Amino acid sequence: MKLSKFTFSALLLFAFTFVSAQDDLMKELDSVPKGKEIASAAFKGLQVCNMQSTKLAAKGEWYFLVSHRFGDLKNGINNFFGLDNALTKLGGIYGATDWLSLGVSRHTYQKTYELAIKYRLANQQVDGFPVTIVGYNTMDINSELTTDLYPRLKFNNRLAFTSQLLVSRKFSNTFSGQLAGIFVHKNLYDELLDQKNIYLIGAGTRYKIAKRLSINLEYAARVNLPEDTQSVYSNPLTVGLDIETGGHVFQLVFSNSQPMNDVAIFSNATGDWGKGSLYFGFNMYRVF
Amino acid sequence: MKKVKIIFMVLVGIVIASCDSNTIQEIQPVVTNPTYNANVKQVFSAKCVSCHTASGNQYPALANYNQVKDAIENGSVLCRIENQCGDIMPPSGKMSQTIIDMINNWKNQGYVE
Repeated sequence: MKLSKFTFSALLLFAFTFVSAQDDLMKELDSVPKGKEIASAAFKGLQVCNMQSTKLAAKGEWYFLVSHRFGDLKNGINNFFGLDNALTKLGGIYGATDWLSLGVSRHTYQKTYELAIKYRLANQQVDGFPVTIVGYNTMDINSELTTDLYPRLKFNNRLAFTSQLLVSRKFSNTFSGQLAGIFVHKNLYDELLDQKNIYLIGAGTRYKIAKRLSINLEYAARVNLPEDTQSVYSNPLTVGLDIETGGHVFQLVFSNSQPMNDVAIFSNATGDWGKGSLYFGFNMYRVF
Repeated sequence: MKKVKIIFMVLVGIVIASCDSNTIQEIQPVVTNPTYNANVKQVFSAKCVSCHTASGNQYPALANYNQVKDAIENGSVLCRIENQCGDIMPPSGKMSQTIIDMINNWKNQGYVE
């Protein structure tokens, strides 16, 4: 209760600061009243690495995306550093308006179809609102389950969801940061290894090292793991390199999660950075 | 208008996300010929050994084949997990019936390792 009062008064204080900034006398001398300039996107790609960024497709834009994650690097030359066991994601994203995009993709992992909706709630402004706030929801349909193996399977059991709130800030031309609150819900889960609901706090950053190159880093911590059992999964930790080439954004990533659907990224990462169990891969976006 | 749409979408999201869940074990058939290494071990590893360790922090120890077999033969493991005696085990709640039936099959078939 005390905390919420504190947050409320902090917000109020922020609000007053903005109001007083707008009342600035010098600004009132400006002959043409105009809206605040929107800061340019904090991230160049629609994803930081695995996690979504706060960038959306512009109105009318189509994105085609191909992602691969190769097999476990720890097995070395035996499976050609993972090239033998690749997972694929193929998808499309459409910008219905500047603040709303819709996506659909198909994943090798569990033959999943993923529907996604991404919507911007607020925009970072130059000398104005400090952050960009974006909501992101996904729904997975697992088409791999069969009634042969699971006689009591209902359609409902195929579904899994994530709801995410992403808050980003572009601190400078070279550095951006993002915080995320993530909720994962599964309509079917393994009662020995997994949970029905998982909450995560995530963070991502982008650091630009050259005109067309940036290094990205993201991590998410599961906050409601049961205290008495050791989870067999890891918190997702991913490092990436963005390469911009005209109409493409090409992202190379090293992650401890091989699947690329958000439900699995955040709750079923099987790799472990400490043991060298990693997955190499890339995301490629093409804009039309 | 924009705000209305957003609130609508969030509500739809919550409604969808509040669907009832099942566990994989619930919708699976019962394993008819279970063995310790293939079926039983993972249940005890996931649900028991964090307290019932090999060194026996919590009696009985349930960390290997002999300990589990002994605890079922001479102890009250089955009756506890079936909630027929004492407090239910594991404390987080009764496991799916398919798991309990599988452990019963394992016992009736002579504890195949």
